[in-house]
Amino acid sequence: MEAKHVMIMGAGIAGMTAARDLAGLGVNVHLIEKSGFMGGYAISYTCKATTECLQCGACAVERVLKEVSETPEIKVHLSTTVEAVSHDNNRISAQLKKGPFFIDPQKCTNCGRCYEKAPEKTAVLRSYSKNNHPLYALTAESIENHRDFFASVCPEEAIQPNAGVTSETLEADAIVIATGFEPFDPNKKPTYRYCDYPNVISGLDMERIKRDHGALVRPSDGKPPEKIAFIQCVGSRDERLGNLWCSRVCCPYALRSAQSVKNKSPEMDITIFYMDIQNTGKNFPVFYQACKSDFRFVRSIPVDIFPEPDDRLRLRVLDETAGETLMETFDLVVLSIGIMPNPENPAISELFGIELDADGFLAKTDALNQTLTSHNGIFLAGTVSGPNTIAGSMAQAGQAAGEVLKYLGVTQ
Amino acid sequence: MTTAVNARKMEKISIATEVLVIGGGYTGLKAAAAIAETGYPVILADPQNAAESNNPFLIGIPADCQSQLNNLKESIHANKRIEFLPNTGITAVTGVTGDFTIRMTSNGAALEKKVGAVVVATDIESTPLNQIYGLPLSDKVVSLSELEQKMGSPEFIKKISTENPTIAFLVGFAQEGSPLLMKRVLDSVIKINEASSSASTYVYINDIKVAGDNLERLYKAARDKGTIYFKLNQPPSIEPQTEGPVLTFHDPVIRSDIELSPDILVIEEAMIANQINPRLAECLRIDMGPMGFLQTDNVHRFPIDSNREGIYVIGASRDIQSISEAWTDVENTTRRIQHLLGDGTRKVPGFRAEVDREKCVTCLTCYRCCPHGAIYWDDKAVISPVACQACGICASECPQEAIQLTGFGDDDMLTQIRTALSGVKQGASKILAFCCENSSYEAGKAAALFHSPLPEGLRMIQVPCAGKVDIHYILTALIEGADGVLVMACHAGNCKSETGTTFARWRVDNAYRMIEEVGLDKNRLQFVTLASNMAQDFSKIAIEMEDRIR
Repeated sequence: MEAKHVMIMGAGIAGMTAARDLAGLGVNVHLIEKSGFMGGYAISYTCKATTECLQCGACAVERVLKEVSETPEIKVHLSTTVEAVSHDNNRISAQLKKGPFFIDPQKCTNCGRCYEKAPEKTAVLRSYSKNNHPLYALTAESIENHRDFFASVCPEEAIQPNAGVTSETLEADAIVIATGFEPFDPNKKPTYRYCDYPNVISGLDMERIKRDHGALVRPSDGKPPEKIAFIQCVGSRDERLGNLWCSRVCCPYALRSAQSVKNKSPEMDITIFYMDIQNTGKNFPVFYQACKSDFRFVRSIPVDIFPEPDDRLRLRVLDETAGETLMETFDLVVLSIGIMPNPENPAISELFGIELDADGFLAKTDALNQTLTSHNGIFLAGTVSGPNTIAGSMAQAGQAAGEVLKYLGVTQ
Repeated sequence: MTTAVNARKMEKISIATEVLVIGGGYTGLKAAAAIAETGYPVILADPQNAAESNNPFLIGIPADCQSQLNNLKESIHANKRIEFLPNTGITAVTGVTGDFTIRMTSNGAALEKKVGAVVVATDIESTPLNQIYGLPLSDKVVSLSELEQKMGSPEFIKKISTENPTIAFLVGFAQEGSPLLMKRVLDSVIKINEASSSASTYVYINDIKVAGDNLERLYKAARDKGTIYFKLNQPPSIEPQTEGPVLTFHDPVIRSDIELSPDILVIEEAMIANQINPRLAECLRIDMGPMGFLQTDNVHRFPIDSNREGIYVIGASRDIQSISEAWTDVENTTRRIQHLLGDGTRKVPGFRAEVDREKCVTCLTCYRCCPHGAIYWDDKAVISPVACQACGICASECPQEAIQLTGFGDDDMLTQIRTALSGVKQGASKILAFCCENSSYEAGKAAALFHSPLPEGLRMIQVPCAGKVDIHYILTALIEGADGVLVMACHAGNCKSETGTTFARWRVDNAYRMIEEVGLDKNRLQFVTLASNMAQDFSKIAIEMEDRIR
């Protein structure tokens, strides 16, 4: 039998898992990633362990990325997008737009010189994982702004400021769509003044601060906060925004992060403002008890944030259990932003001829099978079809790989 | 001491291709059908005759799915590749993956089968929690399952539409709720609302668990149809009066008591792990997880993998799951079994860990400490090359030093330690870090690649698991001139081999005692836990060690 080709869209945790599970089973796997790195959002998440693992799954993403990078059967197409698709019987022909590749992966030694000497901090992007190659990526904009610097900085001459876009046609017998989600933009909740106050941060900002500093510090002064507020459901379960879904991951990441922060600084005073706490895993009853003794839980979502001296923040909140309005001041406010549909979903829907659901995610069309779409041979994995955890996305991606094999008639 | 580090020679062995599925609920049935479809014979043992009952957690699924489930049930009986054994429990399991011997009791008779892989697919159990509220079940106080059953009858629906009753639900007070329980409650509430727009529905609830497909929309739909939710941290007080229970709670916002006498009070149900899970875990030598579910949710493994190769835990045996999630597990298991059993032969490394049969005294320390159940014995200990995960815990624990791990033999490790230390430039503090390849070794490499500060005299020794760090290695490092020794393991609960971190911790504690006895500074030895993505922390720990010993 002629070898089958499978195209996987998106190299986040779901796409990487599907690729890993399909590789080596007699199919050619093409993993298409629009950014310069594999790993998606999940690779930027930090470990939430206290003295023990809290099962956040962030290190599992690192592991899968390593496995994919060490599997030569997976052809990874970085900085690549699908421009057009045509169906011919059961075969799908995709027009790929590739590059520009400003860093030649053959020549780059990951020495980091371009990154360290960069005239602007944001001019060179660096991978969160050491297992991406190259570790660094450049955008057309940074090349444009600093052409002379980039033309001369690399001792290996791996930087090619004049690199252009190429195109390629890829024939595939089946497709897995794993293009992921978009984090909620906190600016859409203007009363939280995310763009005005440096110490109002999103859950994603918290991950980056923890990664860069090895601890949670205030952006305003780089000092550890003494009193932190977490505000849950920012963007999720919000009727006014039309977001009628729970993002599933925010209670787990807020509670786990709070635990890991508290473990490093036991004096930390942490308050969680919430509507309903969602489960974190099967040990939730035990874990939640521990959280209740370590943090203060207030069943109410704050309405406004006001500035105080020393870049502190005052929250106004209606305490439902006490029946009164509270004013309280914190050093740092973390907005637990949720999972939103990828803004490219409508385009993907049109490109591949598959349906969207009422919330703007790609529609799962079978109540008993989470990977099926309205189009034969096209399968879903991960948050492209709705909020999911790392473990849940991996399980769904494994299922999608299995469905692909069944669809292609590939047996062991 | 002998070192046996041979090249990894591949060897072809034949393995049993029969698969045992335990549990006759819809997850077990689906697994049996899916595995049989790939060509392997399946033995489907149903210890609790789950195939005969309708599992409550499935009520409320769409009608078109119901027919799919009925077809599935019928197809099992017609399938020649599936041997269906109702009323059959597991008594004992011996052997390793590819070669398990299963002893069962089938309708009272003893039965023995050889299988290559085992799938555990037990269902959730559901019990009404009326006792906790001090209420006996009656016409007015019903369990959620009872209500769901009643909702299936046209007479009851008609009764609702003519009598417009007040129906109250208690959810999440006696036991932590779940999205699955939430879906059952919302489905019932919406059915009542649909049957009568004048019926009143009240949901007394702790946390609304909406972390599941479409649940926020269902929650809103019920609210829009008039359902009132009272979100309380404590359950309402309940008076069991003769005309029916009276529920009261204080509303702090309107500052008054709210009292309700429902016509029907629906009591929440505990959805708990199957009671036979601990017994199965014991027979199969797999780890229990929290709350009576199987497997520990170790993030290094795929969600359905147990700590033993060839034994998979799926669906409600590992967590409260919806049927679509459980069937995701089925698909993943099927593919893993295909990968494991193949055509009945498997190429494996000649050995991953080798037992020196001259030295082995069959003390069975290795059998007991192997976290993957990969060791059995004839007259001496034998390590299965298929089941072995090459963590090396047995090699480090063997009191006879009879076990050597391929690639990490004792002589090799000692040579590595000496070479590493002799390579450090004069004047620099020599720090030797034993790094688990699943966590700290990755973190250390990342720290170096990202140019995080690291001591000049730091050298990493890669180990397959911190459980492979012998006390002997630690002492050798100190004797051979290391100023500081770091033993870097995974966080508790994050060890790929479950217990490696614990073994490493014990050995470091023992080493502390020894170095104190000989008068060395305790600060020169440190045990830490890290994850692979903690490059910053790796750098910090190493620098701090350097500062301490300087």
